[in-house]
Amino acid sequence: MSDSGNFFEALKLLGIGLSTVFLVLILIIQFGKLLIAAVNKFAPEEDEKPKKVAVATAQVAIDPNVQQAIELAVKTITDGKGRVEKIERI
Amino acid sequence: MGEIFDKIFHMTALDSLIDQPQFLIMYALAFLLLYLGIKKEFEPLLLVPIAFGVLIANFPGGNMGVLAAVDQTVNGILYHNAITLADGSIWCNADGIPYNIYEVGLPQIAHDLGIMNFLYYALIKSGLLPPIIFMGVGALTDFGPMLRNLKLAIFGAGAQFGIFAVLLVACNFFTLPEAASLAIIGGADGPTAIFTTIKLAPHLLGPIAIAAYSYMALVPVIVPLVVKLTCSEKELRINMKQQDKLYPNKTEFKNMRALKIIFPIATTTIVAIIVPDAVALVGMLMFGNLIKEIGNNTSRIFDAASNAIMNSATIFLGLCVGATMTVEAFLNWTTIGIVAGGFLAFGFSIFGGIMLVKLMNLFSKKKINPLIGATGLSAVPMASRVANNIALKYDKSNHVLNYCMSSNVAGVIGSAVAAGILIAFLG
Repeated sequence: MSDSGNFFEALKLLGIGLSTVFLVLILIIQFGKLLIAAVNKFAPEEDEKPKKVAVATAQVAIDPNVQQAIELAVKTITDGKGRVEKIERI
Repeated sequence: MGEIFDKIFHMTALDSLIDQPQFLIMYALAFLLLYLGIKKEFEPLLLVPIAFGVLIANFPGGNMGVLAAVDQTVNGILYHNAITLADGSIWCNADGIPYNIYEVGLPQIAHDLGIMNFLYYALIKSGLLPPIIFMGVGALTDFGPMLRNLKLAIFGAGAQFGIFAVLLVACNFFTLPEAASLAIIGGADGPTAIFTTIKLAPHLLGPIAIAAYSYMALVPVIVPLVVKLTCSEKELRINMKQQDKLYPNKTEFKNMRALKIIFPIATTTIVAIIVPDAVALVGMLMFGNLIKEIGNNTSRIFDAASNAIMNSATIFLGLCVGATMTVEAFLNWTTIGIVAGGFLAFGFSIFGGIMLVKLMNLFSKKKINPLIGATGLSAVPMASRVANNIALKYDKSNHVLNYCMSSNVAGVIGSAVAAGILIAFLG
């Protein structure tokens, strides 16, 4: 192919290529918007209410995750024999 | 005694090195790349294997350089995909007929041409490793910022301008498939550049891969340079959070997890219908992302994709790409053209993204910081981090990272689509 032939082929690719990339991303954007609306309507996330955990120390609020971690640690160290009765902030 | 020393001398590579001192240039290049990778930490995960590949490929007699398959005419007969050996002879069977490398079994390639050619033709030339790496990239990518700022994803298309603009220039000096392989460097995506080059101009794989990864490593230099040349201080001070307060985004996200799971499936389907040639890259990218987003149920394969498989693929890709850079393949004007053209492609891509932002700002009340257009490249997340630092220089409260990540991640899809188009038309 001659140089000018190459140039026109490249020019054609510029037009087709850029428009296709734009088309694909516009479609992804529009489809993404549709998807957001559809998910909001048909599959909204159910708010998981935090489970009530009996906390030994009523006066001091302990994060349930922290309490769970402490209980697990005690269980592991004492081979399941020990248990947590009270957690206090010092 | 003298005869023994003579034999020992010929056994070493010293003899060939004295005859062909150009090998020393390749060692210097390998040492430079190793220095950049190790000391300067420029993309070390790829630059170090590539540099080491360059080094081991260029020891005469080592049999570790990748030999290119090209059509050759012998005694007036054209033989396809023949291999010229290091000593200049053509690789032939017992009857003196040149082998077509694609009709030869891999064990024979390993035996006759060495282990590096075995790896190259099995893993690289087959086009296997770049999609595998894309799978790992997908497993490490979060599309959340893009879904939260969907409109900004369009800049991932604007920043592909450099690819097609440089194609226009490069086609005057290279064949069209070669020019396209060079131009894809503008996508700022190593695996995409390698995948396209394997399909269109495999003989240019070494220099193109080196140029692509070098410029990606130079994102902290190139992005600020182009931004400085094209953006005013007023534009760079556009505060995205303030714009969000003035013109709030009313989109609610009630179930981001479900969105993130459906998104890769939907994107693969859209791309597969419009540009089937891009599915190898985009499909694997989205598959990697899907197994990440599913969570616990696929955590084992996610772990494999993002660690063991990706790391192994990276090692072999780097070594094989480096091993394609033999003296014959690298020390020529074509390489210099690729280095210059690659820089132009990179610069034009950043420019294209910035110009698209400027154009949109002309028609929109809600202004966008042009840095978000500059990150339409697919150098994730380095381009976004660099853009964020530039924004903070002008306004300490202007954190644009999440906005930039939207166009940045979209750029990965955009460059893979652009590669698919080039392969479809020129492959």
